[in-house]
Amino acid sequence: MKFQSQRIAYLFFATSLLLLPLQLVFGFIMGIAHMGWDGLHEWIPFNAARSTHLNLLVLWLLSGFMGAAYFIIPEEADRELWSPPLAIVQWASLVVVAVTALIGFQFGWWEGRKFLEIPRPLDYLVVANILLFLLNLVVTAWNAKRFTATGSVLLLGLTSAALLYLPGMITFENQVFDSYFRWWVVHLWVEGVWELIMGAMLAYLLIKLTGLDREVIEKWLYVIVGFTFLSGILGTGHHYYYIGTPGYWLWIGGIFGALEPLAFLGMALYALTMARRAGRDHPNRIALFWTVGCGVMSFVGAGFLGFAHTLPQVNLWTHGTIVTAMHGHMAFWGAYAMIVLGIITYTMPLMTGRKLYGGWVPELAFWTSNIGMIGMTGAFAVAGITQVYLERRMGMDFLQAQKAVQVHFGGVVLAASLLTFGIALFVWNFVQYGLPNVEAVGADEIGGAAETA
Amino acid sequence: MLSKSQARLFFVGGTIFFSVIFIALTVDTVRQMPALSNEDRMTEAVVRGKHLWDKSNCMGCHTILGEGGYYAPELTRVVERRGKEWIAIFLKDPAAMFPGERKMVKYPFDDAQRADLIEFLAWIGEIDTQGFPPDPDLALPVAAVAVRTDLAPPPPVFGTLCVACHAVGGKGGAVGPALDGVARRKTPEELDRWLADPAAVKPGTAMPKLPLDESTRAALVAWLSTLQ
Ligand code: HEC
Ligand code: HEC
Ligand code: HEM
Ligand code: HEM
Ligand SMILES: [Fe+2]
Repeated sequence: MKFQSQRIAYLFFATSLLLLPLQLVFGFIMGIAHMGWDGLHEWIPFNAARSTHLNLLVLWLLSGFMGAAYFIIPEEADRELWSPPLAIVQWASLVVVAVTALIGFQFGWWEGRKFLEIPRPLDYLVVANILLFLLNLVVTAWNAKRFTATGSVLLLGLTSAALLYLPGMITFENQVFDSYFRWWVVHLWVEGVWELIMGAMLAYLLIKLTGLDREVIEKWLYVIVGFTFLSGILGTGHHYYYIGTPGYWLWIGGIFGALEPLAFLGMALYALTMARRAGRDHPNRIALFWTVGCGVMSFVGAGFLGFAHTLPQVNLWTHGTIVTAMHGHMAFWGAYAMIVLGIITYTMPLMTGRKLYGGWVPELAFWTSNIGMIGMTGAFAVAGITQVYLERRMGMDFLQAQKAVQVHFGGVVLAASLLTFGIALFVWNFVQYGLPNVEAVGADEIGGAAETA
Repeated sequence: MLSKSQARLFFVGGTIFFSVIFIALTVDTVRQMPALSNEDRMTEAVVRGKHLWDKSNCMGCHTILGEGGYYAPELTRVVERRGKEWIAIFLKDPAAMFPGERKMVKYPFDDAQRADLIEFLAWIGEIDTQGFPPDPDLALPVAAVAVRTDLAPPPPVFGTLCVACHAVGGKGGAVGPALDGVARRKTPEELDRWLADPAAVKPGTAMPKLPLDESTRAALVAWLSTLQ
């Protein structure tokens, strides 16, 4: 770690790793309800569990992105962060908003629009919070003597993500308008500007872990995010097939949606090639696992499984079924969860000066969580395809079809337990690192032997 | 070979180019959506229903226009499927209509609020959704197996209130028993007493007491009695 202020990232990473296990708890509540045991219904009805699960996901990922930005931007700008106290205030206010929102959900204080459930008054606080965050980073970059392409792409991604939060705050009386602009947030985030954040974080990690020439890595970063927007912007149309929008979206969404996997294929090839060409053996091998794993799993979850239901002929049948949940899990995991867990794995030794990346704990955390997620995706897939055939294509009653797929949620919950085991190991490893400290500033990244706790 | 500045140009140029097209398409779509969604029929009741829908987070369990949770039935065409009357009764006490099934929240709505929600759902059902949700294309040809052409058509109330739970000729719900041949099991008098108040005949039964007036009940009994 080069600069003192980079340590602020720790607060955000710790927050992420507190929210993630909580997200899993609500996942279990829903998985078990799908198995037929909805005993918690009186206290935590399914809609409350779902909103909490989704918002915890978005919040821990955002917190992870913020931590990553506080770590990466000073380094790419080659100077200390403009105002560390402001960063701490921003962190504290993020925590307050998050906790208020999550508690509010349990009492029905929400907006009832999937992914955008945070009620309007809190939305304004979210915006204020993000403005504080961006201000700090932009001033840091502005006052720098140099600022890299990686840093620019990261900042551009974060700023656009903030701007795209706004269409979700407009009130519409017409459900079709509501839905149309909800996708400006949901789709243009995960298949647009968040990919910039992911790409920049991937580029940063690859530069650090492989020692390859920055120029080459950043050139390909531009190409990949170029493909993201080339396909992803008009690809929004794959959500405009069947919601009361004009028929031309069937063509536009169909064609550009089908092109979207190219950007993720790019990410996967990028990570794999750079890792193979690596000029040096970085001792933090497990960080490279997460980095390359992110490229590969994002291609499988977002690219391949996204393609599986993006064509209008297919989507007509799968739209709004468990097939979508299958894709949503693996895509969020591969693209965004893994990059956040990767940056945490890479930065913790640098912030604390301890090298706890050896041994079986971090490695087992990587493998079990990934195998768990692959298993969950498989079980969701079987449940989803069965639902599509029984309910949509053969006309079986909804509840009857759900009974037929109950057993597969047993599979979901089983695989989710393996995932949870992996996450528990990851968190344990994180705790073992202890707090960041000043001695770690300026310490050599490569030298020294790995320790095991 | 591609240089870094060319790569950046590709990114910036592509982004601007496709953003402009997207905005232009959005302008056109926003112009067309009121007609496609029949905004002229979006009454105040519909708007109130939409607010209730959002405030109650129905989307956390149900999908509508294919968006939402996957825990409860897709509601885009629910009014066509179940009828307004049935939904009004259902919303009063969801568990009574689907005893022992996974639970829906029992909301403390009053009659006016229920009516607003139903107006909202009815308006949703009329939106031009390019054919979503599609009719089942692999449905077994029921007609060939079981539907009897010698039956008189049932009274309309059967289609709105009873088929949600009962099947006749292989079509309908499965909460209650299929009613084919019910006339062999029950006399008209028994049927009449049953429909007037199922729990009085069989305490603890899962069939709810439905609001049927004398003449509707008589019509139902007459028709059920033909199901030999
Ligand atoms: C919420 C679901 C539900 C609805 C709606 C419903 N029923 Fe039933 N019905 C049942 C159940 C469950 C039973 C079995 C009751 C038992 O045996 O305890 C039943 C039993 C019956 C029986 C006796 C069947 C037999 O074979 O003995 C008749 C007749 C009947 N229902 C007619 C009707 C009619 C007519 C309507 C519409 C006005 C109707 N039901 C609406 C659930 C329903
Ligand atoms: C906790 C989850 C949950 C919430 C929240 C919920 N529902 Fe339901 N709903 C269900 C389930 C499950 C069913 C299937 C029938 C049953 O088991 O009761 C259902 C059935 C229905 C049906 C009948 C559908 C059919 O095809 O038979 C309607 C209409 C309905 N709900 C409307 C609503 C409305 C309106 C709201 C919001 C005010 C709402 N629901 C909120 C779970 C939920
Ligand atoms: C313990 C592990 C988990 C379990 C048991 C679980 C289970 C579930 C269930 C049952 C649903 C609701 C589906 C429905 O509406 O019926 C859901 C939704 C969702 N979960 Fe999870 N989940 C888990 C972990 C995760 C993780 C780690 C992520 C992200 C990386 C995630 C992302 C999502 C998303 C994005 C949705 C919304 C899907 C959609 O609406 O299409 N979940 N989850
Ligand atoms: C990391 C990137 C991605 C993530 C995190 C992601 C996540 C999700 C989620 C959570 C949903 C459900 C949204 C909702 O109903 O509100 C969804 C829907 C969808 N996604 Fe993705 N996705 C990604 C990439 C892709 C790609 C690249 C494609 C196309 C190739 C794609 C195609 C689709 C389609 C067609 C739907 C609509 C499903 C339906 O009709 O129900 N996704 N995605
Ligand atoms: Fe999308």
